[in-house]
Amino acid sequence: MTMITRSALFRWLDEMAEELPLIAPSYVEGILLYRQVSKSSEVAMARERPVLSPKEVFFPSTEVLFTINKNGDKLRLNETLPVKEQVVFGVKACDARGLSSLDAMFIDTAPADPYYAAQRKLTTVIGMKCKEMGETCFCTELGLSPDDPSGVDISLAEFEEGFDVQVMTQKGLDLLNRYLQDGADFYIDRSPLSGCTDATQPTRVVLPEAKTFPLLFEDAMWDEVAERCLSCRICAYACPTCRCFDIRDEELPASAGERRFERIRCWDSCTRNAYRRTAGGHDPRAGKGERLRNRIYCKYYYFPRRYGQLSCTGCGRCIDLCPVNIDITEILRRIVEVRQFP
Amino acid sequence: MTISAEIQAKAAEWLTSGDVACVVGYERGTHGRTRPAFIYQGEDVARLIFDKTCTHNLTTYLPQLFNDGSLMKATHKLAPDASIAIITKPCDIRAINVLIGENQVSRERLKVIGVVCEGILDGAGKRAFVECEPIYTYQRRCRSCSERVPLVYDFLIGESVSPELVQEEENLRGIQDLTTSERAKYWLAQFDRCIRCYACRQVCPLCNCPACLYERDDSLWVGMGFGVDEKRTFHLGRAFHLAGRCVGCDECERVCPMGLPISLLNRRLAQEIETMFGYRPGIKPAFSPLTSILQQEQGIP
Repeated sequence: MTMITRSALFRWLDEMAEELPLIAPSYVEGILLYRQVSKSSEVAMARERPVLSPKEVFFPSTEVLFTINKNGDKLRLNETLPVKEQVVFGVKACDARGLSSLDAMFIDTAPADPYYAAQRKLTTVIGMKCKEMGETCFCTELGLSPDDPSGVDISLAEFEEGFDVQVMTQKGLDLLNRYLQDGADFYIDRSPLSGCTDATQPTRVVLPEAKTFPLLFEDAMWDEVAERCLSCRICAYACPTCRCFDIRDEELPASAGERRFERIRCWDSCTRNAYRRTAGGHDPRAGKGERLRNRIYCKYYYFPRRYGQLSCTGCGRCIDLCPVNIDITEILRRIVEVRQFP
Repeated sequence: MTISAEIQAKAAEWLTSGDVACVVGYERGTHGRTRPAFIYQGEDVARLIFDKTCTHNLTTYLPQLFNDGSLMKATHKLAPDASIAIITKPCDIRAINVLIGENQVSRERLKVIGVVCEGILDGAGKRAFVECEPIYTYQRRCRSCSERVPLVYDFLIGESVSPELVQEEENLRGIQDLTTSERAKYWLAQFDRCIRCYACRQVCPLCNCPACLYERDDSLWVGMGFGVDEKRTFHLGRAFHLAGRCVGCDECERVCPMGLPISLLNRRLAQEIETMFGYRPGIKPAFSPLTSILQQEQGIP
């Protein structure tokens, strides 16, 4: 097992932060968020999961797709693709799975999204294995494990003596070789790997069979489970896999005789009011029950059918943050119950 | 009889007699967290609870019921004139008064179960509380609350008020003593964290516009982007629209996933309005002087 000492890791982080944008979990007024850090001391080696997922690094809440300059009859478009190489540090297994779900839609299915794809290519992801599961975590119930190293370029695991380093991709190896000297920074540890301890009882989840979903589309349960829903967007924005967006052209200040616009793409959420409202005013998802159903169906039925994997990683953020305790695992249990005892 | 048992008994009585078609109250949800509950049948009243974790301001659901009728009619086919009962704390009742003053709620169709309140615990709604846990802290709004008994009710539960609660003076000095540029820096840093999830607006009983000014499809006043300018405009605009209406339930701040100190804005404006107009929202079912001053100019100091 290859280990890196604590001081070597912090030196590595310091060196990286000097050369390229280093994004890592960091406390901002008590809220743990992925933020660009300037030195290792700003990195939070926290067990808790950041409030938002690293999704925002690759699929930012606002992204300029291109700018438009209009001068008389002349129209000029400038595409604004990401160009910066960067490193994201401390990504947990659930969030790495979230990225693979985003990849399935944004990259693996033609046409690939050039913005997301470019940012993915330019970014090296350093993962950090979880030592225990949180109160609302249910990744293990979806076939994931808190110490799963897949989906990242380098996977670290914290031990008393230092960090176990598991290189997963060539990109990860390149990054490692750029900063760390073999021998000086690494040592072979003999202590046995203690592995992930599961301190809490995992939330039990029973995934309904695919054929169940169409049968319950019109079921009365949706209006009931959504009764207390506030139609805010916390669940979708905190989710590592939710990727709905809206696109709009907005005007920018310009010099006389010229007009400038930018085409922006911003996060959107199926739980909000008027999410599906169309020109003319028709809204096929006018009720919050219909919108909450959409959220559930998307994660466990529509997305898997189209992209071959769930659009949920069991990170539990939506359960933790919902102001009115709408619990996605409770809804899944309810689906199974309604199906068994209609 | 415990408070929960009293609530259950009254709810069962009203539901069975047909006085109300639905009771909006609290229940224990998953992971030991307290959440809003809608009860339609006498046999379901056992779900209802009331304790120091009942933080939600349930009046936020009332405009949905009384205005567009979207809530509950879908599932339970309530008659258009059906009455509804609601469990409220003294602070929540002030919101009912504002809603009545603004014609958003029909008092005749509303039955209010008012509960004498000793305060709600910090962290309520976000985690489980266990009996043996040592010291709890009350929420900030509760530490400075002067109203332990509901102002309006159809049925009152509880009588004495815990005397050992220390009332804290409203203290906003920390922010107010900053220079203008320091204060701007502070607030812009706060607004910068906002993710425009609109949980603050959605949870607010008084943010009940059918279409929000800050979310127009044509970006007339505020763009769609998540920039600090858009977010500042939304938060400051919302604070002004709530001035003279906000009853200080602080739900906006509780639900904010990014920890924005939203209530500071509302509390500062509430102070100003009390000084200028001698007015506290929600004490009576009335229209705020800030929105009705053109007819009553003699009220201007």
